[in-house]
Amino acid sequence: MSSFTPTRKNKRSIVWDKAATGLFYLLGAMVLLFVFWLLYTILSKGLPGINWQFLTKLPEEMDVGGGIGPVLFNSFYILILSLLFSIPIGVGAGIYMAEYAPNNKFTEGLRICVETLSSVPSIVFGLLGLAIFAEYFDVGLTILGGAVSLAFLNLPTLARVTEEAVRSVPTDLRNASYALGTTKFQTIRTIILPVSMHAIITGICLVAGRAFGESAVILLTAGLSTSGEMWDFNLFSPGETLAVHLWYVQSEAIVEDAKQIADKSAAVLVFVVLFMNLLFRVPLWFNNRKLKR
Amino acid sequence: MSTHVNDLARGEAPKLKEPVNRSGWNRAARVRFTNKLFKSYFLFSILALCLVLALVIFFIGKTALLTFRDISFAQFFLSFDWTPEEGKFGAASFIINTLSLTLLTMVFAVPISVGLAILIAEIAPKWLKSFIRPVLDLLVGIPSIVYGYLGLTVLIPIIRNLSGENLGDGLLAASIVLTIMILPTISRISDDAITAVPKKYREAAYALGSTRLQVIFRVVLPAAMRGIAAAVILGMTRAIGETMAVVMVIGNTAQLAKSFFTPTSVLTSNIVMQISNVEFDSTWNYALHMMAFLLLIISFGLIMLIRFISRRGGHTA
Amino acid sequence: MKLVKKLSLVAVAAAFVISSAGVGSTAQAAGSISGKITINGSTALLPLSLQAAKEFQRLNPKVKIAASGKGSVTGPQAVNKGIADIGACDWDASTDVPGFKAFSGQVANKVAVIPFATVVNKSVGVDNLTTDQLKGIFSGKITNWKDVGGANADIVVITRAFGSGTRVNYQAKALAGGDITKKDKNYKEVGSSGDMKTAVSTTPNSIGYIDLVYVSGGDLKAVSFNGVAPTADNVVKGTYKVWSYGYYMTKGQPTGATKAFIDYVQSKKFQDSSLKKLKFIPISSMK
Repeated sequence: MSSFTPTRKNKRSIVWDKAATGLFYLLGAMVLLFVFWLLYTILSKGLPGINWQFLTKLPEEMDVGGGIGPVLFNSFYILILSLLFSIPIGVGAGIYMAEYAPNNKFTEGLRICVETLSSVPSIVFGLLGLAIFAEYFDVGLTILGGAVSLAFLNLPTLARVTEEAVRSVPTDLRNASYALGTTKFQTIRTIILPVSMHAIITGICLVAGRAFGESAVILLTAGLSTSGEMWDFNLFSPGETLAVHLWYVQSEAIVEDAKQIADKSAAVLVFVVLFMNLLFRVPLWFNNRKLKR
Repeated sequence: MSTHVNDLARGEAPKLKEPVNRSGWNRAARVRFTNKLFKSYFLFSILALCLVLALVIFFIGKTALLTFRDISFAQFFLSFDWTPEEGKFGAASFIINTLSLTLLTMVFAVPISVGLAILIAEIAPKWLKSFIRPVLDLLVGIPSIVYGYLGLTVLIPIIRNLSGENLGDGLLAASIVLTIMILPTISRISDDAITAVPKKYREAAYALGSTRLQVIFRVVLPAAMRGIAAAVILGMTRAIGETMAVVMVIGNTAQLAKSFFTPTSVLTSNIVMQISNVEFDSTWNYALHMMAFLLLIISFGLIMLIRFISRRGGHTA
Repeated sequence: MKLVKKLSLVAVAAAFVISSAGVGSTAQAAGSISGKITINGSTALLPLSLQAAKEFQRLNPKVKIAASGKGSVTGPQAVNKGIADIGACDWDASTDVPGFKAFSGQVANKVAVIPFATVVNKSVGVDNLTTDQLKGIFSGKITNWKDVGGANADIVVITRAFGSGTRVNYQAKALAGGDITKKDKNYKEVGSSGDMKTAVSTTPNSIGYIDLVYVSGGDLKAVSFNGVAPTADNVVKGTYKVWSYGYYMTKGQPTGATKAFIDYVQSKKFQDSSLKKLKFIPISSMK
């Protein structure tokens, strides 16, 4: 019945198409399997041993059964502070690059700046933070120093992700908005940001996840010790984070259950990132469904 | 009027005529003021970012340049002998190793991650998409030391068995670990770039009778080239700058990698291994800073190269 | 440069004000001790510093102690630069050691005795190595286990980076100043004691060295040195020679809170309980 007779070339294309689709699925399956194996390896070793006590107790140097309480708190505290510093600037920079930047050499230069900055090894930011806070301002190893140095690390990624997100907003939407006589900023605030919010938040999640697991920077700027209290909001306390604690436990700690603590800490780290993703994404997901209706 | 239409077509805000004082001039002035204010704020943000880079360059460069008080330019860049204890500071092997490690990582990472991005954005059904995306994001959150530890305890024994080497540390192990670490970065950003390609492009291609594969490779990928290039750059720069994981699987021996399994050292791993054990005011410390500075220059060069390639590719497609 | 400084100043100006207020309050009070102590340096001494800091802060709540670790030489350097009050170091940094010049004007305060052990993967059938054998292995002259009484297999040498306190001491005491040369293959450097433990445990036919504390569990074993087993008892008896003091370096004689803290670490109370539990050896037991 079909009036369409495929040529040999058509047939070949179709076979290729099928084969490629299969390959893509195979690739996806392999990557997924790998990720699950990775997560399973990390979580299965650590999660069963985790209880409320482990999450809230102070770390121990010589007795078995130390917890990660203040360290976990510092992780969140430093992460939030660093996001507080970096999001306004990072997102602002991204918006500039996508919306305002004229197409000229200056913009090229700015873009290369952003990309070069994203290649700076984290340890260099650590050294920079150390030079600024410990030497120049002479405040020692502090939560503030750690947060600011971490913010430096976040900036380029944030800018890049925001730029891509804003750029992908269809031009039609912008034009429609301008046609109503809005200014550029009104358009950004009311049209572009809401539309690209999903991608921006995904980007922030990525950045937060990486920052949460970052150790080299914090090691140099916030130190390896805590103030020994659970809820210490003082910006000038030493601020060992969970990732740094994991490094320490893995590298130098001599408590007998160091191995278990390392496993558990790694599991908590991964779990928190998982949870953070959920927390940010679920509301967005609901929003999307609402928008579609 | 015609100028306005042109502006619209380019997606630019048209320049409005002076507003007529109708519904309160105050509001219009305020709107224009915030418009200006935020424009300068956004400009300030990007400049602040550049300031951080300037700070890094100043701080690293200041120390780095002191290197050449004691050793010659030629020795640093051309000598393969890195024996700081005896005053020999040849960084050539680190530079070449860094380049080969990055290249090898990209050879592994780009096909896998872009393939994955294509799967997510073009092929997979919706439920699978919304499943893979968050799963990939999880990879980012795994701390690099955990990757390093798994590399040391799981990957290296496998490589050791397969290759028959005694150690197994080297470029191959490091590049596999790096591939896994940058996989989510490249595929998520490429995914966004591919998804952002307007639907009408695809529809037009399908209407001409293309298969999906043809649409992907002839239409979607070229259109998303710019975003994919950005993703690759971001992934690559992360690979160059990654330290904590690489240092655990590369072997840390200052020599040129003759094979994939030679224990060797790259710029980052050498910096991180030695910076904690050198005196502040020694040539050794300056040389390590010079290496950090070099890292910046290398990634700068690679970025320029990729931009050049992707721009040409983007035009011909 | 000026611009950079100015801008950074503006950016952290608020912070600075608060901090200077904080620094101001560190002036020592006569009765109860207060102040801020920053410890930096050797990671090998870090567990001790952290434990001591915890106990000390419990007794003196007004003292704030921040500890971090990078490498031994960082300690005295940080003290020199004024970044840290105490620089933990695995050797006496007020004298010259191979590779590092003396730091003038610093005082070395002994805080603990650290024994080191030669470790091998459990697949290695060798239980004792002499100074000469170790020298041969680490200098690359002996490359097969059969030359030192083991099976026919290549020796994989795992070592710490140059400048690590463990390496400095091991080279001086176990290798009698002998070289650790880089080899083409079958040679790798690791960055910390934990990495050393993992690397030796997972690499067949490997040899390395580590603080005795870390030798427990895992797939590695400590071998005797010149026929003497590496145990704390043998160190105290004076038969096992591979050990060193751990030092707290200070700028001049310690004062105020720093002095109180070092006194606490050296006190019988800390040395005989916590320090022993951490498997260091009290300084008083060495004659």
